[in-house]
Amino acid sequence: MACRCGSPGSGGSCRRISQFVLKVHSRCDLSCDHCYVYQHADQTWRGRPVRMPPATVRAAAKRIAEHAREHDLPVVHVVLHGGEPLLLGAAGLREVLADLRAVIAPWTRLDLRIQTNGVLLDEELCGVLVDHDVRVGVSFDGDRAANDRHRVFAHGGSSHDHVRRALALLRQPAHRASYAGILCTVDVRNDPDRVYEALLAEHPPRVDLLLPHATWDRPPDRPGDTATPYADWLGRIHRRWVDDGRPVSIRLFEALRPGGGGTEAFGLAPADVLVVEADGTWEQVDSLKTAYHGAAGTGFDVFGQSVDEAARHPGVTVRQAGVAGLSATCRACPVVDRCGGGLYAHRWRTGSGFDNPSVYCADLRRLIDTVAAYPPPGHAAGSAPPERDDWPVDELLDELATGHESERTLDLLAATQLSITRALLAAWREKTGPTAAWELLAHLDGAAPDAVRAVLTHSFVRPWLVRRLGPSTRSGPPRAADPLPALAVVAALRAGVPAALSVPVRAGTIMLPTLGSLALPYAGGESVDVTVLPGGFRVGDGPAEQVVSLDPAGPPPAGWRPTRRVPVPGRHLLIEDGDPHRDCYGQPVASRLDDGAARALGRTLADAWGVVHRDVPAHAAALDAGLRAVVPLTPDPTRPLRSATARDAFGAVAVTPTADPEAMAVLLVHEWQHAKLGAVLDLYDLVEPNSATRIRVPWRPDLRPPEGVLQGVYAHLAVTQVWRSRADADRPEHQDAPAHAARYLSWTRDGADALLASRTLTPAGDRFVGRLRHALEETRVGPG
Amino acid sequence: MDHAPTRSSRPALDDLRRSLHTPLERIAVEHADLVATVRQRVLAGESMPSGAVPVAAFNSSI
Ligand code: SF4
Repeated sequence: MACRCGSPGSGGSCRRISQFVLKVHSRCDLSCDHCYVYQHADQTWRGRPVRMPPATVRAAAKRIAEHAREHDLPVVHVVLHGGEPLLLGAAGLREVLADLRAVIAPWTRLDLRIQTNGVLLDEELCGVLVDHDVRVGVSFDGDRAANDRHRVFAHGGSSHDHVRRALALLRQPAHRASYAGILCTVDVRNDPDRVYEALLAEHPPRVDLLLPHATWDRPPDRPGDTATPYADWLGRIHRRWVDDGRPVSIRLFEALRPGGGGTEAFGLAPADVLVVEADGTWEQVDSLKTAYHGAAGTGFDVFGQSVDEAARHPGVTVRQAGVAGLSATCRACPVVDRCGGGLYAHRWRTGSGFDNPSVYCADLRRLIDTVAAYPPPGHAAGSAPPERDDWPVDELLDELATGHESERTLDLLAATQLSITRALLAAWREKTGPTAAWELLAHLDGAAPDAVRAVLTHSFVRPWLVRRLGPSTRSGPPRAADPLPALAVVAALRAGVPAALSVPVRAGTIMLPTLGSLALPYAGGESVDVTVLPGGFRVGDGPAEQVVSLDPAGPPPAGWRPTRRVPVPGRHLLIEDGDPHRDCYGQPVASRLDDGAARALGRTLADAWGVVHRDVPAHAAALDAGLRAVVPLTPDPTRPLRSATARDAFGAVAVTPTADPEAMAVLLVHEWQHAKLGAVLDLYDLVEPNSATRIRVPWRPDLRPPEGVLQGVYAHLAVTQVWRSRADADRPEHQDAPAHAARYLSWTRDGADALLASRTLTPAGDRFVGRLRHALEETRVGPG
Repeated sequence: MDHAPTRSSRPALDDLRRSLHTPLERIAVEHADLVATVRQRVLAGESMPSGAVPVAAFNSSI
């Protein structure tokens, strides 16, 4: 089930919190005059411990882990914050990170982040952050004049050079994977062009622009005579950014576009964030400290109350209420879907509390209009290629070419795959007309979107739809082939919503994707009635009915073959040996493993996961972000190590169940490169269509088509990086690593050069392979 | 892996992102072009091999 908290579906009293801010150090080495922690109304920091004691860190981690387990959260984001979290020092930071991972990672994927002023960042701290897979956001306000307007030491000295040095450290290849981006606080007295250029010069993966904290009691500075100075200032940067082809992700602008998804500061998405102060108290979002003394308090702490209890605080729930939690003015506003009333803290006014529009209301209205109106239709932005009207395609491809993608890029790839599946589903609905299953799925898409997403991201939904929509079945598929009833039943089960549908039977079995299959005790019938019950389902009715409980602690129901979930560090993987649509790999897939073999494969996968994290953390992050299922291939003693990826089955790889985690690690990394590139090729043409050219490659005797060479080169790049890492580590068990590294390097280099010379690549493909070639040199492999 | 398929126009990244925020029941209407492009691009016979990326030959030396 999706959630074990006992609440029906995702509504009711179920309050899932997925973001936690830990104030691990409550003092700061800068003295910024715009800081809400020290300079605004709330002064609670004065009574708090300087650093969060280890027992408090562990208690907070246990609460977060408990919440992730109860609500089956796929990921939690923990942000180390302060004060200045780097004041912990390398040893203190290591201790905190190790505690968080040890307690939380067994239950969910843990996304660790830190928000720092960067002043103290050095090689050693970078090493700790990279080792623990922590992504670093740096507060930096732009050019020297802009930055030093507020971001100064207590003695008044500039922090500009210190922060730039930190950003340069994060740009180094060894640290780049930990560089999350820059957080810049707006001051309209600064020159927007100079700020924009200074931010771009630091090559951040992402920039966020923050309006200075203010309330109706304490309105923002409005120098000059314009009514909307903040919208004008940001509008200037927006125009530069669009004209430049959106060379970096700017979260504020992306969030404000129609369908942009919003942030804590904008939009109607629930604010699912809680703060843990250094003394262990649960607080609401930090920015509330700008409102009044104690505004963020809940009266709870991690020792006495769970996340669920803290999340039921009225100040948290109101921010999860969408448009209903806003003032009457905002509820009637035409841009409320994008603005969402602005940041909660900015609504405060003594007397009416938070029941007001944002103090930035006029600026927000104007900025939303500006973002929507520019570029006007037909506008050619600078010299950017056409794709840039959609997204900074160069940035996306450049990142992917190096094998060091940001989380945003990985999330984007996964989102496009889900979107394609949803479009195929809509095509299926057009073909079949309205059905009860479609109605249920469409209803759940609005009422319990997480449950629908969980089933639609299953790797074998798309192969299923492709087969049913493909040419061979265009003249009306038999009803038993309809994928919708099983998908809708699974979504209802995950959402805890009662439902009853007729589900197709195939070979005496009903298949419930992601959950398992049920062999029916009786033969005959093309379909069977399935009723969703709390914690399980019933099939059939009358004397033939059977109730299947999905409680893993209960006795195994007769005929039920659950899809096995095996733990790997930080999350679970599905061993998919039951879904009939897994046979899309062009080679035989194994039938259901016995329990011992499944456990053994699970152990190998868990160990291999650790090996990938050890050898190539950037590729581990990519696996963490996207791999959900592993399909066992039929063993073949003559070819014991085989693996495969199917273009339609994003999120899964197929492998022979080897017992060697070192070999499995290479298979996983190799295959995930194919999966990523397959998703890219759904979006972009990297190879000229219809090319009859065939290319000689070093790893096979036969001539290959260009796309095959591209896939081979991309996979070999990652395998080169694995072996290079092993060669550098000089472990006794990897004495052959330098030879492997050299061989894969030469294969990748020669393959890339052959592609570049073949004139079969599109301009985007040319750039992609060029960047890949460059990344190869940066792997520091010796003479190949 | 051994195919260099003919490609129709690709689904635009922005359309894909926006359609994620469109209720399932309205996708066919509000993103009719996207649905058509995805059908053309993804379904067998139009572009990519639905088949595998078998890589046994690539990693036989692992
Ligand atoms: S623009 Fe103003 S009225 Fe509209 S939602 Fe935002 S704060 Fe509310």
